[in-house]
Amino acid sequence: MPRATARFASLLRNLVHKQRVDRELEEELGTAVELLVEEKVRSGMPADAARRAARLELGSVESLKGQVQEARAGARVDALFQDVRYALRSLVRAPGFTAVVVVTLALGIGANTAIFSILNAVLLRPLPFPEPDRLVRLFHVPPQATFPGMKRFSLSPANFFDWQRDARAFEGMALYGGRAFTLTGQGEPRAIVAAAVGAGFFDILRARPAQGRVFRADEDAPAARVVVVSHGFWKTRLGGAADVLERSLKLSGESYRVVGVMPEAFSLGSWFPTSREIWVPLALSDADRAVRENHNNQAIARLAPGATLAQGLSELEVISKRLEQEHPQENAGWGATVVSLQDVIVGDVRPTLVLLLAAVGLVLLVACANVGNLLFARAIGRRKELATRAALGAGRARVFQQLLIESLVLACAGGAAGVLLAYASLRAFAVLLAGQVPRADEVTMDPRVLGFALGASILTGVLAGALPAFRAGRTELTDALREGGRGGAALGIRTRRLLVVCEVALSVVLLMGAAVMLRSLLALRTVDAGFDSSGVLTLEVFLPEARYSTPARRTAFFDEALQRLRALPGVTAAGAIDDLPLMGGSVQPIVVEGRPELLPRDQPTVQVRALTPGYLRAMSIPLLHGRDVEAADVDVMLVSRGAAKLLWGEADPIGQRVTLPLVSRKLARRIVGIVADVKQDGVAERAQPTVYTYTRERSSAGLTLVARTSLPPSSLATAAVSAIRALDPEQPVENVRTMVEVRDALLSSERFSALLLGLFAALALALASVGIYSVLSYIVRGRSREIGIRSALGAQRRDVVRMVLREGMTPALAGIASGALAALLASVSLERLVFGVSASDPLTLAAVAALLALVALLASLVPAYRAARVAPATALRD
Amino acid sequence: MTARRAALLQGTLDLLILKALAAGELHGLGVSRRIEQITGGTFVVQPGSLFPALHRLEEAGWLAADWQPSENNRRAKYYTLTKAGRRQLGEEQAAWNQVALAIARALEA
Repeated sequence: MPRATARFASLLRNLVHKQRVDRELEEELGTAVELLVEEKVRSGMPADAARRAARLELGSVESLKGQVQEARAGARVDALFQDVRYALRSLVRAPGFTAVVVVTLALGIGANTAIFSILNAVLLRPLPFPEPDRLVRLFHVPPQATFPGMKRFSLSPANFFDWQRDARAFEGMALYGGRAFTLTGQGEPRAIVAAAVGAGFFDILRARPAQGRVFRADEDAPAARVVVVSHGFWKTRLGGAADVLERSLKLSGESYRVVGVMPEAFSLGSWFPTSREIWVPLALSDADRAVRENHNNQAIARLAPGATLAQGLSELEVISKRLEQEHPQENAGWGATVVSLQDVIVGDVRPTLVLLLAAVGLVLLVACANVGNLLFARAIGRRKELATRAALGAGRARVFQQLLIESLVLACAGGAAGVLLAYASLRAFAVLLAGQVPRADEVTMDPRVLGFALGASILTGVLAGALPAFRAGRTELTDALREGGRGGAALGIRTRRLLVVCEVALSVVLLMGAAVMLRSLLALRTVDAGFDSSGVLTLEVFLPEARYSTPARRTAFFDEALQRLRALPGVTAAGAIDDLPLMGGSVQPIVVEGRPELLPRDQPTVQVRALTPGYLRAMSIPLLHGRDVEAADVDVMLVSRGAAKLLWGEADPIGQRVTLPLVSRKLARRIVGIVADVKQDGVAERAQPTVYTYTRERSSAGLTLVARTSLPPSSLATAAVSAIRALDPEQPVENVRTMVEVRDALLSSERFSALLLGLFAALALALASVGIYSVLSYIVRGRSREIGIRSALGAQRRDVVRMVLREGMTPALAGIASGALAALLASVSLERLVFGVSASDPLTLAAVAALLALVALLASLVPAYRAARVAPATALRD
Repeated sequence: MTARRAALLQGTLDLLILKALAAGELHGLGVSRRIEQITGGTFVVQPGSLFPALHRLEEAGWLAADWQPSENNRRAKYYTLTKAGRRQLGEEQAAWNQVALAIARALEA
């Protein structure tokens, strides 16, 4: 394309060296004046008159310069717009074709843009804090023998303060955690979980309050009763009061002075301490600060300027090694790790989002193949016109360029429509993603997303357009003209078949991915977690310390609340537990009485839950041996089958006594029963050894009540809440959900990816069937003469149908075979994301292949039927 | 036919410039003199039309330019036909012949 390169070069010249071009033009015109003068002098004019005449002839150099520049710019714009105009004109003349292509591309590019805008907000956009790449989280690495596979563990305060004192690679470190309060005096009583933050927390984030101040270092002490509130809390709960800094909040019966209001931008929903409505000082007592064996705190840190994450890590590792030696009893086997804050927040969803982007990219490829197919058919249909243009001096390169610009124009129109589509779907995504994908509330279209859409459009245009443009550009004029008006049957059939093969293969990969994700979701939904979630209502109650200060009072409240629940119509059993199954909870070392206490590294650990009588029946957790706890029991324990096996092997544990050293080394509990295993940490995890404790009149402050009912559990919700309210009108009841809802909420991200993958696969399938249909129709049209001759020579309709079907099914089957192969290769990357099914499950793959074969057959039937109806005479006459 | 009226025939100027350069490189004024010469003085191209046209054709990739000393030893911008320009000349020539033939036939009829 010498023309294009020359134009490009001159464009660059003009852009880069505008001044030089200007100078050159001046010189060129100056020389022209001199030459003109000399000419006139030679022909006998006196020098003065010659100069005047020359000036007159040339006119004003300035205005000439203007004219020249205008001509240049005009030529540049003309050349570009000529092609675009031509493309637009010829596309408008084929509105059906244009509409199909634009819609196809809009779906493909729109879906890609939407997924990319999520990926952009979640993975690419830095956290909204100054210098976010220096922000890290600090964790313990627990002993692997007791916590197999666990790489990040909460911190113990004493260890943290040792790290803080000795590490140099960090500018600052701060502890934080959650603290539950009951907020009263602001309308309905409400349970509120504050972030309790250690000194330096806000400084590390570089977060400034919008009003007032954050905590002073001396306020990180038990006596301080100060609180910082969020922008949202100030606006809605305090009515945006101007005198907010003179107000106090009643938190669990105590008055906390409001000292500051954080700006709206600080409320980052996807990270616990920033998503809070209120913040209070962590305020550990001296005794709390000295605790080394209990790991309940989180820590944030900022790396010192110039320090790397690796430096910070190696420093903490050295300190941890030293602490292991200094405090072997508590610290043996406990290491340290440093993870960037961004990674902690979004690391878990990265594989899912990358998978979705890959899947939606495949959809775009299928769309490309389809559009390529259509463009190809169109180019073949126009080959006479194109060949004539090429022969008339446009040149093949020029025709190629023209066709490519046409496909780029189409792609850009599709891209623009796709961006609108993606923009419209962002709200739906925000709703769908809320609370499941971190930073989902920040999903917006920004310049990067628009750039991505533009890039995707251009790439699509080139991908879809290059092959047809190349093939059409090669058509010889003589061939094109010789074939005359007859629809040259076999032109480019091979290329188009190849496109069908690709489409089908890509669809197989996508369908396989979607099918495997769906099966995984079904497996997760139906997996036996050890209890029966149907017919169960759950309610969370947290009793504030101020009004329920003694265990006896708390027990009295819960006993009465459970009595009232049991009295409700339809309720067959009710009980309570501190943490519901699947939700995680306390994990503690356990010591069997009479056996020596081991180092923490070697101690067996178990999930520890506190329950009340009635809980097992409400959840339908089978009692395998011994008895359930009873109301009057003191210091008794139930063990799961797994825990019994872990601690006693085949021996009978009933009557044995154990201690939980983190709670008390002195308090021994008697085992009264063995219950079935229950999954505590999530449906995809295996059931872990669990013990359930119970002591009369020792209820903890926060319990989840569960009631089994013969009626639909959600219909019981209102009655259950008012039953508890009647007991104490100031007591909040939170998270009233059925157990099925609790379970489903845990699977929302799996449901989200299965849903999207299914959508993408369906889209690909539809596109592929349209592709098969259009290619086959084209072939049948092209071969109608041959078909007519065949039927005239006695071929049966059956034979004709069979011939056309074979024509359609051959590339489809080739596509299915290669797609199956590709799906098997791709399954490696999926394996980590699926549960209860192999990503290369042969049965699923067979079903996917069968489905595609069926769709291909259906797409072939209409053209085959049409071919069978070709009347021999008509075909021959044409 | 006067020069002014001849310039009204759109496209002719481009054809004449391309033709003038077909024999070899020329600077702007040279192109003008050459057109005068090959048309037997029928066309006199004014600088106001000539220079914009030269630059437009250069922009379109039909002409290439470089700087050389002129006959009076000043730096002058010399234009040559590119390959595309040569092809364009052929096309315009063919088109022109067709038009000319058609007009001639029409006038004879």
